[in-house]
Amino acid sequence: MRPTRFTYLKAAIVLAVGFVMLRIVYRIVFGGAGGNGVVLLELPRIRLGGPFEHITLFGDVTTGGITNAAASAIPFAALVLAIGTISAVVNIRRLLTRGADRGPVRTVARALVVALATFPALLDAVRRVRRARELRGERGAASLIIPVLEHTVERAVALGASMEVRGFAAAKRAEPRCEYPAIIRDASLGYRDRWSLAAINLEFTPGTLTVITGATGSGKSTLLSALSGLFQHVFDGTQLGSIEVAGLDRDAVPPRETAGFVGVVSQSVRVSFVAATVAEELGFALVIRGVAPIIVEACVAEIAGRLGIAHLLPRETCALSAGEACLVAIGAALIEHPVLLLVDEPLADLDEPARARVVDVLDRLAHHAGVCVVVAEHTFSEWADRPDAWLELREGAVHRIARPTQAPDYSATGTQIVGAQAAVAQAAGSQSRHAPIAEITKLSVSHGELAAVVGASLTLRPAEIVALRGPNGAGKSSLLHAIARPNQRGVVVIDTRDVYTLSRRQRRRAVALVPEVFDDLLFATTVEAECARADRRAAASGTALRFTRLLGIELDTASLNGRTSAIMASHPRDLSAGERLCLVIAIQLSARPRVLLVDEPSRGLDAAARALVGAAIVEAAAAGAAVLIATHDRDFASRYATGEFTMGSGRLEAGAGVIS
Amino acid sequence: MNGRYRAQWSRVSLVIASIVAFAGFAWPLIAMAVPSEARAAVPLLALALLPAVVVAVALALDREMNSATTVAMLGVLTAVAAAIRIASTGVGGLEAVFVILILAGRVFGARFGFLLGMLTIALSSVLWGGFGPWTPFQMFACGWVAAGAGVLPRMTSGSPRTAARLEILMLLGYGILASYAFGLIMNLWFWPFAVGSGTDISYSAGAPVGQNLASFGLYSLMTSTLTWDTVRAVTTAVGIIFFGPAALAALRRAKIGRARATRQSGRKTPATTTPRNSALLDGGTQMRRSTAPGAAVAPPRVQRPSAPV
Repeated sequence: MRPTRFTYLKAAIVLAVGFVMLRIVYRIVFGGAGGNGVVLLELPRIRLGGPFEHITLFGDVTTGGITNAAASAIPFAALVLAIGTISAVVNIRRLLTRGADRGPVRTVARALVVALATFPALLDAVRRVRRARELRGERGAASLIIPVLEHTVERAVALGASMEVRGFAAAKRAEPRCEYPAIIRDASLGYRDRWSLAAINLEFTPGTLTVITGATGSGKSTLLSALSGLFQHVFDGTQLGSIEVAGLDRDAVPPRETAGFVGVVSQSVRVSFVAATVAEELGFALVIRGVAPIIVEACVAEIAGRLGIAHLLPRETCALSAGEACLVAIGAALIEHPVLLLVDEPLADLDEPARARVVDVLDRLAHHAGVCVVVAEHTFSEWADRPDAWLELREGAVHRIARPTQAPDYSATGTQIVGAQAAVAQAAGSQSRHAPIAEITKLSVSHGELAAVVGASLTLRPAEIVALRGPNGAGKSSLLHAIARPNQRGVVVIDTRDVYTLSRRQRRRAVALVPEVFDDLLFATTVEAECARADRRAAASGTALRFTRLLGIELDTASLNGRTSAIMASHPRDLSAGERLCLVIAIQLSARPRVLLVDEPSRGLDAAARALVGAAIVEAAAAGAAVLIATHDRDFASRYATGEFTMGSGRLEAGAGVIS
Repeated sequence: MNGRYRAQWSRVSLVIASIVAFAGFAWPLIAMAVPSEARAAVPLLALALLPAVVVAVALALDREMNSATTVAMLGVLTAVAAAIRIASTGVGGLEAVFVILILAGRVFGARFGFLLGMLTIALSSVLWGGFGPWTPFQMFACGWVAAGAGVLPRMTSGSPRTAARLEILMLLGYGILASYAFGLIMNLWFWPFAVGSGTDISYSAGAPVGQNLASFGLYSLMTSTLTWDTVRAVTTAVGIIFFGPAALAALRRAKIGRARATRQSGRKTPATTTPRNSALLDGGTQMRRSTAPGAAVAPPRVQRPSAPV
């Protein structure tokens, strides 16, 4: 996608030559290629009638006529070449980057810079969605274009928010009173007429670390965005009562004007990156403020040094690991030394070492650098006793709680799970004497030079849930994808048939994979249409029924019918993350595969959603499928899996065994 | 300058720029009206005029579009549209890109659509090469196609479902019309350059209007109307039917900021998005809310209780 200077010149030459040829063709067709010289062709002259009576087609074609035609085209062709040469000489990209930083057309130039920076992400999304639709057994263009569009729109919204909180297009900068980072008095927050939080009173002081917990949808992100101002000024929310940030009325001052002292790290850091490289990303807030390049460079180096990410500076933002991306986003938010730092679910995507590092960084910021750090999070264990205060959002109110020591509470659907697990155990007991349903022998995957999976062998039995554990980058996803789409003969055998040799339809009946970015599989406008589509593809029925059963709703219960039809009529992306994952599982089960693979089923889900998805997986296993889940979530694996493998740097590790 | 005044100003400047640019497109007709001594200068003037108007539009709209959410959406959609345009060059140029231009123009309004059309051409030319005297003309023509979808009337009749269907039908008709209109207007300015002098369909400023129109008609019919334009109309129509509903829903769910969004489109949008039902309202993030009817209604600003000191 990166054009060289030669690209422009080549394009200009092709176009100029094409133009000359075209003119010769016109002359030949519309009777103008005659003249001196040798007669090359004697075409019959055809006179047109009606309004076209002044036109005669064809006629003699002579060398002189053609030379004349070519010569007459030269001025315009020269103009084309000249423009091509100019665009080859001028470095348009650099011009755009400069123009985006300052000057009279910086908005337009910035939009183009954003577009250029979006290209790698776009290509990535296309690749990913292409794989996803193959997993779903879809081929049409809609199954590619709609998820890609959804993804890019999501990126646009995240990007817009991230530019806003870093001061993009700020007309002025507000003056902070640093001794009061945030004071909330009698505040209620809601969208339209629905209040998600009511009558909150909170005061945040400098040099403290506060962690806000609560289930998905309890209002954690709402509260954080109300402090950053995105809630009131970008997301269209309504605030009552008073929220003061550094002594300023949050409802009156937009985020861009407080960018100098309020740092924000969004939930989806990777789609929020504005720049192409880490150094540009870190310096973005300063550059758009017009700070001199040499000072920007010094500030970037300082922040990178403090966070220990100096080695990442020249890297492209799209090539960062989840942990690195999180640290870069924190660095970008710190560049102006904020009084208040708001961090939304930083740990969701990270494995254990990266989590520890991020917690450490936030702890030091609060307790050594004196920043007021507010974090929304639904995992507890990593934080230990670092936070000064824990807040829990429950039923629209804020509760100050002691340090939570309990693992997430799964009790809501507890009885249901116990029942299903008993069924799995029973089924597993009766099946274990039978031959394994899937045999994977010496499976290896490499991405270019890098060996992602090395000689993995494992067997799966019906009604079994096997967890594949290991850190990010251990090769778990690569292994799952290779089981679903083997790259050679004889490595994956399901039901005595080599998956490599199966047709698309047969393969769907043998094995189904729910990828980590499961949203990529959704492209209809209603849940109902989505289920109907899955039924048609699998030449089966009952996807909708399966979906509601996975949600724990019985279709025949009269009182729940209202909720069911409401869910069926809603847009798939309006479902909660847990419900969406259940929908994708239901879709992937539509062809009744013998083996179900699920990549990171618990990532980013709160306790209730994890319980929902866990129950769905148990349900699938109870129906007789062999289930293999890749996860780095120890709690989840030990709760739902009947067996476990560990994976490290591409190898299934020895000693992997079955949990009793 | 207050916001409303500025919005008004940018709208007026856009209309003026469009009229001037249109004159550039229609230079063959204008040249027939000017004295014969000045005729030779007209085509050169047209070629120089269009880039100047592009710059003027960029200068006029730059401050108006200057908000983080707008720039982000514009940038990202430009990338998508340019990618579509580059991916479909092999099959004849500008076909598939009209789908996204029309749908985005419809959702985000005429001004946004206009800029999107212009930037798409600019970006794909940056990436692929292909800059030429035609680039500013393509920028304006694509800008008009997207802006046109933004000024089409709002569908109000019947149930949300019928309104959504009618909207797709209307965009479908518009897409076909725009495909042919785009071909015609691009031919109009380029025809004298393409054919040159000395053929029977050559432009001649001194000839009767009827003869020139007939020549232009034949040129257009032979070179694009029957071929490229028809292919373009078909792809656009098919694209709008197949992706229209889902793509409109995707774009509307991310509708940008309050004041700006309503100012840009100047209207409430009809429903193609399923309203979030209340049972599910709390799930997910708040960044991607539905813009279904009711959703677009501003929340009542309740009298604020005075904060205790």
